[in-house]
Amino acid sequence: MLTAITRAFRTPDLRNKLLFTLGIIVLFRLGSVLPTPGVNTVNVQQCLKEAQAGDAANIYGMVQLFSGGALLKLSVFALGIMPYITSSIILQLLTVVIPRLEALKKEGQSGTAKITQYTRYLTIGLAVLQSTAFVALARTGQLFPNCRQPLLVNNDVFTVVTMVVVMTAGTSVIMWLGELVTDRGVGNGMSILIFTQVIAVFPSELLNIFRQNAFTFVIVMLVGVFMIAAVVFVEQAQRRVPVQYAKRMVGRRMYGGTSTYIPLKVNQAGIIPVIFASSLLYLPQLLVSLFGNSENPGPIVQWLAQNFVRGDHPVYMVTFFVLIIFFTYFYVSITFNPVEVADNMKKYGGFIPGIRPGRPTAEYLNYVLMRLTAPGSLYLGLISMVPIIALVVAGASQNFPFGGTSILIMVGVGLDTVKQIESQLQQRNYEGFLK
Amino acid sequence: MIIGISIALILSSALMVLLVLLHKGKGGGLSDLFGGGFTSSFGGSSVVERNLDRLTVITGSVWFVCIIALGLLLRPA
Repeated sequence: MLTAITRAFRTPDLRNKLLFTLGIIVLFRLGSVLPTPGVNTVNVQQCLKEAQAGDAANIYGMVQLFSGGALLKLSVFALGIMPYITSSIILQLLTVVIPRLEALKKEGQSGTAKITQYTRYLTIGLAVLQSTAFVALARTGQLFPNCRQPLLVNNDVFTVVTMVVVMTAGTSVIMWLGELVTDRGVGNGMSILIFTQVIAVFPSELLNIFRQNAFTFVIVMLVGVFMIAAVVFVEQAQRRVPVQYAKRMVGRRMYGGTSTYIPLKVNQAGIIPVIFASSLLYLPQLLVSLFGNSENPGPIVQWLAQNFVRGDHPVYMVTFFVLIIFFTYFYVSITFNPVEVADNMKKYGGFIPGIRPGRPTAEYLNYVLMRLTAPGSLYLGLISMVPIIALVVAGASQNFPFGGTSILIMVGVGLDTVKQIESQLQQRNYEGFLK
Repeated sequence: MIIGISIALILSSALMVLLVLLHKGKGGGLSDLFGGGFTSSFGGSSVVERNLDRLTVITGSVWFVCIIALGLLLRPA
């Protein structure tokens, strides 16, 4: 393992890529702690400390997780990658609905590039919206409901506009940094940035637990190691559907005749269903925080406040679970198209032994995939339930560090990045990280 | 002084957003965000792209300096 790392650093171009990625990460973290001009840092620090002592902070759960604590510090990169993720989700969903986008997606590389460009425009739009909403919250003091100190240095319109503009530009800079990593570093830039933010809050949270109770700390660590192992196990699991290619002669050369397989992962959808479900369940909380303070909240808002704001309410848990399973199937059906795969195989003379090419193959693939996704979706649901269960059973805090989403992100991105480094390494040496 | 730097900051922010949007997007959207397989980015960057990079880095530095300067000026007493 260690020799593999030294070998990675001895390879010149790989070393440059790794150092480049590390440099970008450092820049990114720097922007995440640099306060936006106009913020009263002293008061914000104090309010943050008060908010962490209570458990008011969980309203912003998902956003807070993705911003690595930058959000409530009102830093330059406060919005983090959330606008980009949201706009990617929106465009992904719109692809199913709008025929023009679907046509673009089918066009291949150039169409995908266009969709990416739309995603980027939408990101800036969302960033303007979110930063405006966010600075307005900070200005009226609703960001920390229990804290009565002014969060901004002065409340005139010019300062507020400057802050909004800076945060928006910060989001675009994050987007650029991510693309730079994808282009010149290792791994997928955006996911590495998310990874950084998720990891960044770990040490302080673990330290918090350790300070409260050393015994809980040991148990949390044990559970964490066990869960990481389990997640790695399931993420790597795949079913290999055998494919036989017919031999054919082209000129005097012989082609094909090989047998390969189509790898179908147990969890083909990755972590996206969890993100979809959390983003959707964040909406009722938002509604309640917007309308719940009025004198006479309507019956709907009251019902939402009773059932959906607390993470450990049974209705919330069941809805979360069902949503995750639904989105797993939904996303798998978007990303893997059995008909297309079967057609491609038929075109190149491939077939699954015992099954006719064409429609029967597509049906077979669909059957295998649907059956395989059943445990996959259950696993995703269960993993994301872990922090909630821990909350109920052990009375742990809501920001339980080994939350399902953070572990899934850590393991998923980590595995992916290591695999990419590995394949780069194998261009020069045979032995890599994974044996 | 504060107003001057604020205006410079707003201008450089706007320029920054514009320059980033001018880049060709390299991320492949959501599908390869979280372990969605292997995306290979073929093709080196063109001259236009490289000049754009240089401009973006310069603007970014100006933006950063403006933020720090304004942050120091607007420090809570």
